[in-house]
Amino acid sequence: MSHTQSLNVDYNYTVVRLFALTTVLWGIVGMSVGVLIAAQLYWPALNFDTAWLTYSRLRPLHTNAVIFAFGTSALFATSYYVVQRTCQVRLFAEKLAMFTFVGWQVVILAAAITLPMGISQSKEYAELEWPIDLLITVVWVSYAIVFFGTLIKRKTSHIYVANWFYGGFIITVAALHVVNSMVIPVSLTKSYSIYAGAVDAMVQWWYGHNAVGFLLTAGFLGMMYYFVPKQAGRPVYSYRLSVVHFWALIALYIWAGPHHLHYTALPDWTQSVGMVMSVILFVPSWGGMINGIMTLSGAWHKLKTDPILRFLIVSLSFYGMSTFEGPMMAIKSVNALSHYTDWTVGHVHSGALGWVAMVSIGALYHLIPAVFAQGRMYSIKLINTHFWLHTTGVVLYIVALWISGIMQGMMWRAVNTDGTLTYSFVQSLEASYPFYLMRFIGGCFVVAGMLVMAYNVIKTVRAKQGTLEPIAEAA
Amino acid sequence: MDFVTVHSIFTVIIFVAFIGLVVWLFAFKRKPDFDQVANVIFADDKKPQQKQQQESDHE
Repeated sequence: MSHTQSLNVDYNYTVVRLFALTTVLWGIVGMSVGVLIAAQLYWPALNFDTAWLTYSRLRPLHTNAVIFAFGTSALFATSYYVVQRTCQVRLFAEKLAMFTFVGWQVVILAAAITLPMGISQSKEYAELEWPIDLLITVVWVSYAIVFFGTLIKRKTSHIYVANWFYGGFIITVAALHVVNSMVIPVSLTKSYSIYAGAVDAMVQWWYGHNAVGFLLTAGFLGMMYYFVPKQAGRPVYSYRLSVVHFWALIALYIWAGPHHLHYTALPDWTQSVGMVMSVILFVPSWGGMINGIMTLSGAWHKLKTDPILRFLIVSLSFYGMSTFEGPMMAIKSVNALSHYTDWTVGHVHSGALGWVAMVSIGALYHLIPAVFAQGRMYSIKLINTHFWLHTTGVVLYIVALWISGIMQGMMWRAVNTDGTLTYSFVQSLEASYPFYLMRFIGGCFVVAGMLVMAYNVIKTVRAKQGTLEPIAEAA
Repeated sequence: MDFVTVHSIFTVIIFVAFIGLVVWLFAFKRKPDFDQVANVIFADDKKPQQKQQQESDHE
């Protein structure tokens, strides 16, 4: 599978390799920072009274590292790989593709330096200051040129559905980033948003939720539509459903942002539109999940022997779970309980660690041997170990925060007969304490899994070309 | 035209386009075309015999 004898196309794998390897590296870094700040919530002394080690500065570093360094590198790697293989041509503008790699790494390093220094626009998931935002724009436009240029010179007549999802993600992220990053700079490291008040909040969460919808969902669905059928050795369950899935998803997601602003200064009708659209989003989300999982129909036995496929399919179950949980939490009355509690954090991590990370890890285990001219990963057993470490970690994490979050919500809203609050904030914090330890342990499992992956990847990359034979498929 | 009218027209256009898409996908006999498209990811495999047997597996 490593090369393309039948088609005889010489694909550009260099940039795919680079992005694939940095995905693993930034995954370990980003998740380790996550474990550190989880530990700080349990042992506050771990900030060592150092400004740049405080939770407030490391938290944006963690989110930026996992979303933009780990997740987006995985998207770069897989989109460059998938677009070449499904269009059966070599990448368009290869030097520009190389620039996207170098440029993106510079963005990541700039984030890793400025965020701990406390330089921030204070917009969630859009913290980076304006000079870095400009660089992101340049890299992103280059990415679009490479991707769509490759689509234009394709040899196949039809554009495979995975590319529609990748394309939708690239265009929308460009628009979101440019609109939300509109600022008036006052110095190299400080700027102010051009929007004010409730409009600023709405633009921010239009950006914020569509970063979830297009970067963390549409992009990774592109990944799913290539790697799940490919790893299963069967075409996708229903191609027609995948087309409906794409258009329904992109038409609906864009409206869901206001659910982040329930019971705020945002006009009531806007909150209601956001709630209704978020609830409807359940339909295309589950359509897509079912399409992915049913691809295995008639071949379920493969799950027993193939841990890569297990990563991919379990990622879809987490996707289904969080896209059920999300619409539910977007309902105003549920949100009144869940908002500002750990439940939200748990929900995000069931999406991020369960769906995004697992589908990326599965895709990488498929892709890395292919681009390094090997038949398989160095050790299939270690992939299985990684699977169980990761799954255990995610389950510990989300269960801990479900309990902690719902408990916080109940305690905050409890009132005595005379109308005074039953519990002080500190009492709810104290009640959450044991669950913060459980969350920390879950995080350790996830990082341990990533280290196992790194070892396996290094061994695969270093093995002599062609020495890792593909395993004969068990009938 | 004011803001509300433009947006109402836009919403109707999107709705009609979506229904049109669904009709286009399911009303005509396009299944064989889409089956072929779904198999495009196997075009570069070493084992071409593997993909043929799957053509009719689904739906």
